[in-house]
Amino acid sequence: MLLSPATGGNLTLTQRDRRFGYLLTAPGLAVLLVVITFPLFFTVFTSFYDYTLLTPNHDTFIGGENYQEAADEEYLPGSLWVTVKFVLASVVIEFIIGFIVALSLNATDRFKTVYYLILLAPLLINPVVVGLLWRMLLHSELGIVNYAIGLVGIRPVSWLGDPTIAFWTVVLTDIWHQVSFMAILLLAGLAALPREPYEAARMDGASPLRCFFYITLPLMRPVIFVALLLRMIFAIKTFDIVFIMTKGGPGTATDIISYFIYRAAFFGLDIGRASAMAVGLLIIIIVLTALLYRYMRSLN
Amino acid sequence: MAEIGLRNLTKVYGQDVTAVDSIDLDVRDGEFMVLLGPSGCGKSTTLRMIAGLEAVTSGEIMIDGDVVNDVDPAERDLAVVFQNYALYPHMSVAGNLSFGLKLRKLPRDEIDRRIAATADMLGIGDLLKRRPRQLSGGQQQRVALGRALVRDPAAFLFDEPLSNLDAKLRAAMRTELIKLHRMLGKTIVHVTHDQVEAMTMGERICIMRDGRIVQVGPPLEVYRNPADTFVAGFLASPPMNLLDARLGGETGLDEVELPPVGLPLLARHKEALQGRAGGAITLGIRPEDLDVEPSAAQHAAMTVTVVAVEALGPEVILVGALPGGQEVSARLESDFAAPAGSEVQLHVDLERLHFFDTDTGRAVTAS
Repeated sequence: MLLSPATGGNLTLTQRDRRFGYLLTAPGLAVLLVVITFPLFFTVFTSFYDYTLLTPNHDTFIGGENYQEAADEEYLPGSLWVTVKFVLASVVIEFIIGFIVALSLNATDRFKTVYYLILLAPLLINPVVVGLLWRMLLHSELGIVNYAIGLVGIRPVSWLGDPTIAFWTVVLTDIWHQVSFMAILLLAGLAALPREPYEAARMDGASPLRCFFYITLPLMRPVIFVALLLRMIFAIKTFDIVFIMTKGGPGTATDIISYFIYRAAFFGLDIGRASAMAVGLLIIIIVLTALLYRYMRSLN
Repeated sequence: MAEIGLRNLTKVYGQDVTAVDSIDLDVRDGEFMVLLGPSGCGKSTTLRMIAGLEAVTSGEIMIDGDVVNDVDPAERDLAVVFQNYALYPHMSVAGNLSFGLKLRKLPRDEIDRRIAATADMLGIGDLLKRRPRQLSGGQQQRVALGRALVRDPAAFLFDEPLSNLDAKLRAAMRTELIKLHRMLGKTIVHVTHDQVEAMTMGERICIMRDGRIVQVGPPLEVYRNPADTFVAGFLASPPMNLLDARLGGETGLDEVELPPVGLPLLARHKEALQGRAGGAITLGIRPEDLDVEPSAAQHAAMTVTVVAVEALGPEVILVGALPGGQEVSARLESDFAAPAGSEVQLHVDLERLHFFDTDTGRAVTAS
């Protein structure tokens, strides 16, 4: 009763807690409303109108026409294929490297903090900066990479000029940037594993390899699933690195879906059609997120 | 079948943390040996060294006469039951039981036969398809035990397997483990901090403190003749009363003085206390050797002020203060009652007095 005049009359404790919670989150929610919710609904709304940068208004409702046009896009399947390749390549390689790093770090006692710092460093760099950094390092004439391999007699490589090499350059840059995310997520999982089953397994006569396959992998399954799905969701919407390094090129070698949509909007000037494709991408990501959410709930 | 021998066994963690300090112990073939001590006394570390889960700093571990310091844990033919069961969480009960057998490449039908026999023995037959998290603590405990039994090892190592169970279940499992030992006749080393477990289960108990062995012997012998004040104060609840006293009387060796009382010394005690006339001594009296009735053959009386009366049901624990301020506990008949602050006369059984050196804490006995 001492507090009640100040904090709101006859409200129960739960109600008061809830009200205080809303109060604290209000500023953040307001910002999210402006920068996420509004653009989201604007995009969905726009995707049903003939909205171009030449006629930027919602005068002409055209129903599903934008979606039809988007589906008929000549280069859309190619871009989707590049996206699938990019997501699979980067996530799978990140997972393998990340798991090896996590396993070794988990077995290490000394200098753990140092390793953590080194691991985290790339994650702290903005993706645009990562793209710029690697574009300079890999520049075919001025880059230090070509200079270094030139010292041992290897001819300069056109890292971003050759279609096949450019694709893998982008993939590797993304791996360089994101692999620590995977490693740290998996490491957290490994560190939380119970120690006792391993001792029981040693008494049972299991070799380290068997322990890995029969104990570590099954116990890590939830963490692995979450790590893979999270990284997949992030990888699908990769944009910055491609924008900075290759602009989707050479040709369409790195034309992943987010960049494809960007071009439709700001080069094709057809905002309506780009919106329709963005909504499509959104649905794919929502499905993956729902999957992740359901799985994480099933764990409890 | 296995004899386990420890020779100068030592474990040092890091630079200077000595967990086990040069201990010697022989566990006989088929014996139920209990390692007893407070937490941090090195009993679990000793067990883990025997198992091979902990490297030995120095000394030797022998199984049937062979030094096994560098033998892989799986090759020692021992099975461990861990305190928190350490079941494989993602495997069914049957999977947990069969894992070790599969690794040892036993034929399928032999594995099935052993699992069935073990499940039958422990009454977990209807749980075989379940996962550990679907089991209660007691059931998990049985599965952990089953995983050890199914291997049919030469000896079992129990690392506080009962300490996570509730009191009732613990008592039941104690009895079952004793039966199991009688049935299998295998060597068991059982680690516990629970003196009731040690007293009831062990054929011999080995009491440890600060990484060293204080006393080894059959439970009743250790109970009757504790080697020092630590053992005296550790076994039984309430533990032995340990009182600061002085030898006195005309010759300095006639009685043990707890002012204003002087308890007469028996000839046997005088012999043991030879040379300590007039000196300080720690007097040990078990709570059950104090009584309100003068029932013992040789007894002496002392008066205490009642501090508290704890009615436990079958018995009453009286906590009383001696005139000098020292407190004693007495185990009395269940019908005893007295208000706090009142005076009660207690009779001491003189035959059952214990004497310890005040400085070293070692028991004083006739050599």
